[in-house]
Amino acid sequence: MSIVSIDNLEPGMVLAASVLDKSGRLLLGEGAELEEKHLRIFRTWGIVEADIVGVDGAGSNALPDNITQEKLDQAKRTLLPLYCHANIEHPAISELLRLAVIRKVKHDQK
Amino acid sequence: MIKNSSNPPTIQSIVERTKTVYSLPLFYDRLNEKINHPRSSLADIGLVISEDQGLTVRLLKLANSPLFGYHAKIDSITRALTLIGTQQLRDLALAVSVMRSFSGIPNEMLSIKSFWKHSIACGILSRSIATYRREVNQERFFVAGMLHDVGMLVMCTAIPEHVREILSDSKNRSELYHVSERKYFGFEHGAVGSALMANWRIPLNIAEPTAFHHSPAAALRYPLEAATIHLADIICDSMGFNQVEGWHIPPVDNAAWSILDIPVSQLDTIIKQSEKQIEEACAILSEAL
Repeated sequence: MSIVSIDNLEPGMVLAASVLDKSGRLLLGEGAELEEKHLRIFRTWGIVEADIVGVDGAGSNALPDNITQEKLDQAKRTLLPLYCHANIEHPAISELLRLAVIRKVKHDQK
Repeated sequence: MIKNSSNPPTIQSIVERTKTVYSLPLFYDRLNEKINHPRSSLADIGLVISEDQGLTVRLLKLANSPLFGYHAKIDSITRALTLIGTQQLRDLALAVSVMRSFSGIPNEMLSIKSFWKHSIACGILSRSIATYRREVNQERFFVAGMLHDVGMLVMCTAIPEHVREILSDSKNRSELYHVSERKYFGFEHGAVGSALMANWRIPLNIAEPTAFHHSPAAALRYPLEAATIHLADIICDSMGFNQVEGWHIPPVDNAAWSILDIPVSQLDTIIKQSEKQIEEACAILSEAL
């Protein structure tokens, strides 16, 4: 299971945990298979992510085709020293690093 | 740790030295007075702002930028006051005025351009975080974010020789800048900035987050504001909007992160929303330099 952002949710995925809105109201229960209309309802109620069965963390965020894993690793090696004081295991920092790496690869390609 | 001075600088001495050189225009006091006076009308408040041509132009440009996204053109200060709100416009006016009062600062230690780019980016990101959290009066987040590092500018002018030493110290030891400052002085630029703000009678909801943007847990009155600026500052550094190239990214405070309660996946959206606004705001505000 893994948290997948709304932009990467697709019909056919199965919820590993129930989706609740901000006030805690149940929108869709655990184990349900997503349909197109669910995604629309999620967006309407401001849901930004869902816990999905059988997706690993790395695969859940689709990348543009022209970015290779090799380039990502290379950019990450360059940026990593800047994060030596940041707690890299922290979910926020590790996400910021991931975004910074993608940013750098895109920037270098220009 | 203090090396080249018999009289180690204190927060107070730095502020004393600064406030004689850079004064927040009298205008901010007068504006506040008008806003707080129960009998003043929007036209009265508008009149105070309109006396300052440069400020008026910049505020109107901001009001018409994607930052606010109004469809109809906002062509007068009175209209901006109605649509954006008096408190909010006052906060924007404060940001522009402070930026202008520091426009004459020498460039040698800190690139003034990168400094304000970092500051504006931090202001916009703070505002986007506040928008995501549906906070009321988001402009105060913008101002607090934009002015959070003002202490750094103040120190560059008041005690340049010390700043130069800390800059090279932190680089040589590959240390975070504010950590080097604490070792050297026993305090950091956040405290200096907020002391100056207190002197200028800038409200505490801006001064406190400034004081504690590197230690948000210490903010007792405005923990949410401090946490917001803290995170926005780190996002800026991570995106490459830093004052000095190659500066390290500071750690995220756990308590601050839980106060904000932002899903990790939302960071990307917040950054994407802010990027365009950052470019736009930089273009409008940099004219003031």
